[in-house]
Amino acid sequence: MDLKEAVKDKIPWDGTLPLNEFSLSASTFSDKWKMFNHSFPPWLWNPCPKHHLNSSHKVEGYLSLENVCLVKSCEEEKNHGSLSWKEESNISQAEEPFDHATLVCPEFEANHYDFHIVYSPSYRVPVLYFRSYYSDGQPLPLGEIEKDLPGHSAELLLESKWTFITQEEHPYLNRPWYKLHPCGTRDWMKLLLSDTYTSSNKNFIEQYLVSWFSVVGQVVGLKISLEMLNIEEKKLFETTASDIFE
Amino acid sequence: MAADSPTSVRKVVVHLRATGDAPILKQSKFKIAGTDKFAKVIEFLRRQLHRETLFVYVNSAFSPNPDELVVDLYNNFGFDGKLVVNYACSMAWG
Repeated sequence: MDLKEAVKDKIPWDGTLPLNEFSLSASTFSDKWKMFNHSFPPWLWNPCPKHHLNSSHKVEGYLSLENVCLVKSCEEEKNHGSLSWKEESNISQAEEPFDHATLVCPEFEANHYDFHIVYSPSYRVPVLYFRSYYSDGQPLPLGEIEKDLPGHSAELLLESKWTFITQEEHPYLNRPWYKLHPCGTRDWMKLLLSDTYTSSNKNFIEQYLVSWFSVVGQVVGLKISLEMLNIEEKKLFETTASDIFE
Repeated sequence: MAADSPTSVRKVVVHLRATGDAPILKQSKFKIAGTDKFAKVIEFLRRQLHRETLFVYVNSAFSPNPDELVVDLYNNFGFDGKLVVNYACSMAWG
């Protein structure tokens, strides 16, 4: 058995996250997010009834971050080509706690975004799904979403129309959602984490989704706070970093 | 940490390290103002390597947001007086 473990550690890691580790990695991610990203709503775990044929694993589900409100700020757009995000939900509730039927005409036009992190069994990596809608619930066309994305994403969208963001059926909700293509994910995850990989390293599994989101979040303009990459990790990497220098 | 001269702009030494098949730069270490955004490092690499798409990451752990300040990255992930920035020529998407 020891030999089996030893051999396993020698095999280069392929950049994927095992399905049975997804929920663990997801809960670490949402805990850290809650702790360090106060300006955003929390990521919630949505357990789903098993509907796949291969139902050997215990928990199936996805993470969701919903009703993130995008406030268009022209000034910021000009300066950095990126946009600022604000959570809106609490504000309106606090001001008018008893009347939910009031028609509010906001001074600015805000687009709402829902994000889901879903595990892809075929790529064996997490995948980001999202949808967006106007305040009245009407969905945004991709052309409008493009305007909300950071500059570099909008450029990429023009270059690679079919391999970056496309509309597909949400695996659990069976409705059309936008999806970031996962074909390159395992390659860049390998770059990010293969130095720290050993099959028995629990920390590594937990860190997977945080590292993954540092890349994916940039596409849609969601930033993770640096504190999410904890101190324990830092210590672990210090030895790696010092090896580089002669 | 930098109690010596709080008024002057603190400089951070950035070490650019090629991974995979990315070309190695002639000069791999350079100084940058801590108040600069990480976008400036990415832009520098793009110009040096004549590549539009690069995968840039820090400490084998994450890819910093371009809006992040260099000094914040240094304070959190710098070691031995430097911030090590890895780059690869692979594309993340498409």
